[in-house]
Amino acid sequence: MRVTVKLFATFRDGRFKVEERDLPDDSRVVDVLLPMNISPEEVAICLVNGRDVNEQHVLNDGDTIALFPPVGGG
Amino acid sequence: MKFEGRYKRNSKTFSELDQLKLAASSVAIVGCGGLGGYIAEEYARIGVGRLVLIDGDRLEVSNLNRQIMATELNLGQWKVEAAQERLQSVNSELRVDIVKGWFEEDRGAELFREVDLVCDGLDSLQARVGLERVCHQMELPLVFASIASWFGQLGVSLPGDHSVARLYGRADKGVESTWGNPVFTPAVLASLSVAEGVKLLVGRQPSLRHAWLQVDLLTMEFERFEIPELQLITKGVMNHG
Repeated sequence: MRVTVKLFATFRDGRFKVEERDLPDDSRVVDVLLPMNISPEEVAICLVNGRDVNEQHVLNDGDTIALFPPVGGG
Repeated sequence: MKFEGRYKRNSKTFSELDQLKLAASSVAIVGCGGLGGYIAEEYARIGVGRLVLIDGDRLEVSNLNRQIMATELNLGQWKVEAAQERLQSVNSELRVDIVKGWFEEDRGAELFREVDLVCDGLDSLQARVGLERVCHQMELPLVFASIASWFGQLGVSLPGDHSVARLYGRADKGVESTWGNPVFTPAVLASLSVAEGVKLLVGRQPSLRHAWLQVDLLTMEFERFEIPELQLITKGVMNHG
């Protein structure tokens, strides 16, 4: 299956803004994170097709995953 | 009014009635650093009647890069005291109440007495979640904002919403601890925060309820993300149970 991965804020540093990924069926969000060297603890918000999910969420063909690091300063 | 014409350039963006509503409004700003300092500056200039500034920190040299209240002459001074002095010189008609201490959830009723709106200028993810809880207990609207490096997030949480819990409830520490905060990020996010807050004060609909604005000043992208209500209710139950 094919999914779209969108990165935000500091996650883009040394990576990309948006890319497509080919994944085996039944892949989870965590399977997208690890090859990018992002650990689940670094993710503050994970949206799949605009819905809030956690790293164990099972992906489907055509999904768009949006990943945000924690932005907490003031 | 001592300075007639002070708000001349607010019209007709704001009507005379809007301006009266602002003058009758009281805004609490929690955290008086990068974000909170600019937020306070803008509310003082736009013409609200009273500000409550809450911060338990003193100014230090590393604040000079971004905090509008910090000068080379006032290092070591309480941040809220420095802000009070500056704001009174900007607008003597404004009442500025200060609290030299940190925001704590069990002090909400005392800190936010006779306040109409709360603005988040905190620098801790978990404290923000606590601030949302207090605002909702007190039936107060909250404009939340956070910054790191070139990036920021902003939204409005009204009683019953759980936007802050959802956005900030998961992590312990933000990426600003390694990436820092240059001056343009708090200035931009503070302006966005005040633009939303003022709408609430004059009785207009805020634009970022059940949503947040993801700001990227590196690519100059401002993207809005929705926070569906149903999910928020579930999240709220989880947080309180």
